[in-house]
Amino acid sequence: MNKLLTTSLLIIIGLFSITKAAVAEQIIKGDPKPAMIIFSQKNDGGWSQALDEARLKVEADLGISIPVVENVPENAAAVKPAVELFIDRGHNIIIGSAFGYSDAFKELAEKHPDVVFLNPAGTTNADNLMSFYGRTYESQYLCGMAAGAISKSGKLGFVAANPFGLVNWTVNAYAMGAQQMNPDATVTVIFTGAWNDPVKERAATEALTEQGIDVIGQHVDTPTPQIVSEEKDIYSTGHHRDLSEFSAATQCSSVWVWERFLTPEIKKIADGTWESSQWGAFLSISQGGTDIACCGDAVSDTDKSKIMKARDEIMAGKHVFAGPLKDASGTVRVKEGDVLGDGDLWGMDWFVDGVISQ
Amino acid sequence: MDFLVFWLSNVPSFAAPFALGVLGMIICERSGVLNLGAEGFVLVGAMSGAGVLISLGDYPLSAIIIAGASASALGLLFGFLVVLLRVNQVIAGLIMVFLAQGLTSLISRNMGWVNKPFSGLGRIDFGFLTDIPFLGPVIFGQDIIVYITILLYILSFYFIYRTNIGLRLRAVGENPDAVDAAGGNVILLRFMAILIGAFFLGVAGGYLTVVVAKIWVDGISGGRGWIIIALVIFARWQLWRSIIGAVLFGCIEALIPRLAAVGVQLPQYFILMLPYVVTILVMIWSNLKGNNKQDTPLALGRPYLREERH
Repeated sequence: MNKLLTTSLLIIIGLFSITKAAVAEQIIKGDPKPAMIIFSQKNDGGWSQALDEARLKVEADLGISIPVVENVPENAAAVKPAVELFIDRGHNIIIGSAFGYSDAFKELAEKHPDVVFLNPAGTTNADNLMSFYGRTYESQYLCGMAAGAISKSGKLGFVAANPFGLVNWTVNAYAMGAQQMNPDATVTVIFTGAWNDPVKERAATEALTEQGIDVIGQHVDTPTPQIVSEEKDIYSTGHHRDLSEFSAATQCSSVWVWERFLTPEIKKIADGTWESSQWGAFLSISQGGTDIACCGDAVSDTDKSKIMKARDEIMAGKHVFAGPLKDASGTVRVKEGDVLGDGDLWGMDWFVDGVISQ
Repeated sequence: MDFLVFWLSNVPSFAAPFALGVLGMIICERSGVLNLGAEGFVLVGAMSGAGVLISLGDYPLSAIIIAGASASALGLLFGFLVVLLRVNQVIAGLIMVFLAQGLTSLISRNMGWVNKPFSGLGRIDFGFLTDIPFLGPVIFGQDIIVYITILLYILSFYFIYRTNIGLRLRAVGENPDAVDAAGGNVILLRFMAILIGAFFLGVAGGYLTVVVAKIWVDGISGGRGWIIIALVIFARWQLWRSIIGAVLFGCIEALIPRLAAVGVQLPQYFILMLPYVVTILVMIWSNLKGNNKQDTPLALGRPYLREERH
């Protein structure tokens, strides 16, 4: 995931580059035979496991088998042989899992025009290659609502990996959601500088708890904040998957629901109506990238229905970052009547009022 | 005041894995064996500790001991390579790191140990002693391994500087020929030093999972093995200095999230960089003092071959 660090920049660059418009015709020959390549362990409890779980659901939905290979490092020398082997065996849809696959997939897509490549968190696109990611600010906004509703102190904490666009937007949305339920709610965020360091994540969660924070949100790759929140008798919200499996303290999770995107995409590829996009796919809850697993026992039924109502509004097209919106220093970031553009989202380097950060 | 108590009472649990690891490294390197594989031994210990708790049951102290023993098992291989086969110690050490990374990833996945929380080892409550304001939580609110670590340091100090075998250990790192001539067994001494050193590195790793994280994920040591190597140089192979170094790093590691939690506006990456800046500064300082030569074990990194000309 830390390879996503430059995603924002590349996407912006991508916005200005001109690529050939995709032509709608069947790219693959014959029936769809997908295969998946995962950069880490498929049971990592987070990002990769969510993809693997989606793979199993797509298998069941379409009645096909999708083989997977894991621990393929994010360099071309490792990615290419794995993909070539799948293609040699007749696979014509290759699903990746990492930002770091972007360039290798681009080269492979050129070499194999009759194979479709789909890469979550990637940044490259072509006629037969599409990157995709979810609008996680939508789901984190809803989890922020749950957090704001159950917090007694109004002080929320957030453990995040690195401060860049797609992490900052979850932090901001979390705070904005919480402020829907409690206008005075604050979110203190600690960046650990690592996606996968339970030692630092525990230290961050404990330090936040000491300051009287009673709900912990997170955007890291391990369930450590969940585990600590249970020990400290406070609540938490999760990311990637429904983290209530690790602790009953988890009241809401921003979850990946890739199968809701992949199943229809594969069907479209099969019947020749699939088209790539030169910007990649940036999926809203309604398109099946991200969603919430909500809510735990601590969220009252009234609050739960408010959250679900907000979810319906988002699915109907309401933008979380709709103007007027100011950052913590008072600068207007989104004007009245405007919404934040995708390029600004990927490049987000500011926090809304109520976010306390380093 | 509260901030100070929270901070200081958390220092020992951050310092302990560094202290244990550096202790192991000093014992190993005092015998003249350069060990760059620290990260690997820490990883093996960390995974084994977690594995015991997940697969065998809630025995945190046994888990810590098995963590050390598992790292010693890897130490057997390392010792075989560098002591018996006299392989280049730099290469062999680095190989240990990569081997351990792959091995722990493979084993933990096949055993289903990844991302499985366990209760681990908690802090001791000394009753009224722990309730003493300020000093209570800082001194009497730690886990048992912290106290054992202090005891280990006292014992090791006695062992290294006050016993005959400790003298031989130091001598074999300075001048193995002399030890050989005096009837000491260079091979055996070095092998034992590697095994004991690996044991403590493994215990440091076990501490990370069993006491601190209470979960195992791939690469959980997060570069702490490399910090341990830096700390050895920082400590100039002296036990008392290594305690200072470990506590200093513990202070910084415990301080970083707490500064952020109270909302102190400091650039994140600058804070994360602090421990390494301190290491560089201390190394410069100790170099300027000009006491480098006499501190480094003279035979460090040099395989021993009887009657070889140097």
